[in-house]
Amino acid sequence: MDRVPKNSGWRLFVQTVIGRAYPRIIGLLREHSWFFFEVFLPVLSVAAYVFIYRAIGAADVFIGFVVMGGAMTAFWLNILWSMSSQMYWEKQTGNLALYIMAPNSLMAILLGMAFGGLFSTGLRALVITLAGSLLFDVHFEVANYLLLFAVFMLTMVALYGMGMMTASLFLLLNREAWHYANLAQEPVYLASGFYFPIKSLNFWVAAGASVIPLTLGLDAMRQLSFRGGVELGFLPVQTELAILAGLCVVFLIGARWLLSYMERLAVREGRLTDGRR
Amino acid sequence: MDLAIHTEKLARVYKLRDAKKEQPRELVALRNINLDVRRGELFGLLGPNGAGKTTLIKILTTLLSPSSGVAHVAGYDVAKEPEKVRPRINMVSGGESSGYGLLTVRENLWMFAQFYGIPSKLANQRIKELLDVVQLGDRANTKSSDLSTGLRQKMNIVRGFLTDPDVLFLDEPTLGLDVEASLDVRKFVRSWVDDNPDRTLLLTTHYMVEADELCDRVAIINGGQVLACDTPANLKRQLQRDVIYRMEVSPLNGLQPEALEALGGVRKVSHEAKDGASVLELILAEDDALGHVVNTLTGKDIHILNLQKREPSLEDVFVNLVGHSMTEAESASDG
Amino acid sequence: MQATQPIEKRAAERGVSGRTFRAAAWLGWQIEANWTDPVIFFIYSVIKPLSGAAILVVMYSVITNANFEDPMFAYIYLGNAFYIYVAAVLTGVSWTVIDDREIYRMLKYIYIAPVHVPVYLLGRGFAKFAFGSLAVFITIVVGVFFLNLPLDLSLVNWPLFIVSLTMGIVMLAMMGLVLGSVMLLIVNNANFMGEAVAGALYLFSGAIFPLTVLPAWLQPVGYIAPISYWLELIRRALVGNIAQSFPTFAQFSNGQLLAILAGLTLLFTVLGFVVFRYCDHQARERGYIDRVTNF
Repeated sequence: MDRVPKNSGWRLFVQTVIGRAYPRIIGLLREHSWFFFEVFLPVLSVAAYVFIYRAIGAADVFIGFVVMGGAMTAFWLNILWSMSSQMYWEKQTGNLALYIMAPNSLMAILLGMAFGGLFSTGLRALVITLAGSLLFDVHFEVANYLLLFAVFMLTMVALYGMGMMTASLFLLLNREAWHYANLAQEPVYLASGFYFPIKSLNFWVAAGASVIPLTLGLDAMRQLSFRGGVELGFLPVQTELAILAGLCVVFLIGARWLLSYMERLAVREGRLTDGRR
Repeated sequence: MDLAIHTEKLARVYKLRDAKKEQPRELVALRNINLDVRRGELFGLLGPNGAGKTTLIKILTTLLSPSSGVAHVAGYDVAKEPEKVRPRINMVSGGESSGYGLLTVRENLWMFAQFYGIPSKLANQRIKELLDVVQLGDRANTKSSDLSTGLRQKMNIVRGFLTDPDVLFLDEPTLGLDVEASLDVRKFVRSWVDDNPDRTLLLTTHYMVEADELCDRVAIINGGQVLACDTPANLKRQLQRDVIYRMEVSPLNGLQPEALEALGGVRKVSHEAKDGASVLELILAEDDALGHVVNTLTGKDIHILNLQKREPSLEDVFVNLVGHSMTEAESASDG
Repeated sequence: MQATQPIEKRAAERGVSGRTFRAAAWLGWQIEANWTDPVIFFIYSVIKPLSGAAILVVMYSVITNANFEDPMFAYIYLGNAFYIYVAAVLTGVSWTVIDDREIYRMLKYIYIAPVHVPVYLLGRGFAKFAFGSLAVFITIVVGVFFLNLPLDLSLVNWPLFIVSLTMGIVMLAMMGLVLGSVMLLIVNNANFMGEAVAGALYLFSGAIFPLTVLPAWLQPVGYIAPISYWLELIRRALVGNIAQSFPTFAQFSNGQLLAILAGLTLLFTVLGFVVFRYCDHQARERGYIDRVTNF
């Protein structure tokens, strides 16, 4: 009987990325409840922050900031729950062992997760932005769409690079993974200025928080999208863009290195299949 | 000799921490395993729960490093060259639920085929063929979360064969399957190996009959050690000069089965309580020894309810090597 | 003999409920806390709520130039602090269904054990309530010491506070039971339902801004949201003068508000058990009790 031909090298890499992205994308089409849980309810949360600003007499630009920040929280949640702690869940279900044992690189698996997550979360963020903007009459004044798009894309590359790095750290974790992800939720909302301009924080706090790509990405996007945004910006957009590009390189290289180190460590310590609940 | 699997003095020690985070204890899961599996062989690894079978499989499938010793699969060192081993292997574990519940059976299998670089068209064609083999063809478009445990296991089995590995590891593959499905899987496993001399299959099981029927050779493993390794026929032949009786008696009235082993001509005795009676499996050096056993039992007012002389089985080989039955070994390891 | 049977039966039932609640609360505590050492766990327990409060503090100070003396600040800060209970209790009770069914895969064993499942769910939520209490306390302490939160313990109406808080917690637990019951029928995407619902209710509960800030067409939702009444009572009990500055519920006396809260608590208690019965029946009908989706 003839043996089955198999691709290797970059073809296998691409196939793996597509294969792992598939469940994320198909899930969006197959299960419609995400619209209620991940769009409708978050829009109400965003609305709560909008009304706080209204209650304390904030300028309209802050309403726009909240809507944009609220939409971007979807990406952070995706990194925490669908990239990082996903590794723990994959271990629980037995998939992690199969991923490691297969000839693909784990990097391709994580990239697949990232692309799938980016697509599905991007759609959610877009709907939240549109709904929030319509409900609260947010006026966008985009001076340079190309630059805005570049900032967004760089932010996403750096962010998902970071997600891949944290996912590799989570390879070693068990039950505590869930708690660590939970712990990184609100503090990052605070440090990255999801609901206020990051400039409001102490310079060094804001600089420290800039390690998380959403901090500078969001700040630059706000500067590029709203009238009065530049005055509330933390650093000039060009500087933020350069730092984001640097973060992309650091996180992608870091993810590759850390992933292979962690995989070796996990194999040595027998933690790949040891899913303690 | 063309070897698919080769291990030398392979050992694995786990460090166990308790809830109070005191000094870790050491658990020796494997000690000095030397094993050679030839290319084209259907090799069985037989042992009770906790014998070290799954640890050995984890090492051979690159999921766990050995603490010492070496292991080669398909000619490559599993610890040093995992990237060369992985394209050549696959594994199916009984009782696992791999894949994603929101995907259909076909989609889950397609996804795994992508991870092995199988072109989509070919993957879909093979999925169809293999699903038909395990009679799951009509459920190809069912979401895997809607499958019963047995059907999910069938999907896993297809996942293992789908990638046409050089060496396939089946860890208790018939766990959770009914008798008929188990028979189908065994038949398929045998024909898969027979179809191509380049294919090797390592099967772990604690079903003696499964190993006896299917495997070209069997290694009996207990307490992390290989106790014997040969064809089922040769293993049983070691007991051929012995006489084996299955004796059903009334409750033992405090008589320890070990006391019977002290009698002349009695080599091994295993004991199992069953429906208010006791079942003794006796391995005797000669027929005459049966008289001593009967006398001892009747002296203790124990009645013989049934007596059968039979051919040796792998279970007897296990009892002969380990000193007690597989069930007793599992109870001991559970405790 | 026959006459005493119902009494014995009731006593036995109470015994089962008590045992169920204690065991579930102990289990919840272990699951919440024993994954790390106490110091890290303490930090974990307070850092999340403190960050939530800090977001509001920064938002407020950016716009008002850090005018923490304004009654609005105390309104926002205290409302948010007590709102921690909403997320904790709603999530604590409802998350148990997903946790036990999908992750620990224990729900089926709980179901076949001689326990009261609703009481079990409530018991499992108790640990989150306890840790939530710690977070509320620390948040308030930080507010008092660092942000001039005008809380004077000698002016607190303690009886009103204790009665309102207790009733409110029971009401939240019952809301959690309703949510948990619904989760029995949802086999995916429900991971964050507790938090998502709590986040959405944030808008309608007058926690961080008076209901009058909402557009007129949305305000009725706030007036039927039970948490609004609870938070108003808590504010009146702790900082009566601040509560007076926001006359949203001025037409109601404390007694009337308490009566409304008691009525709502009773309503949700009945609703909790009725919805549980319905969802439980439906879940068993559809075979969802031991469903593992691997989503």
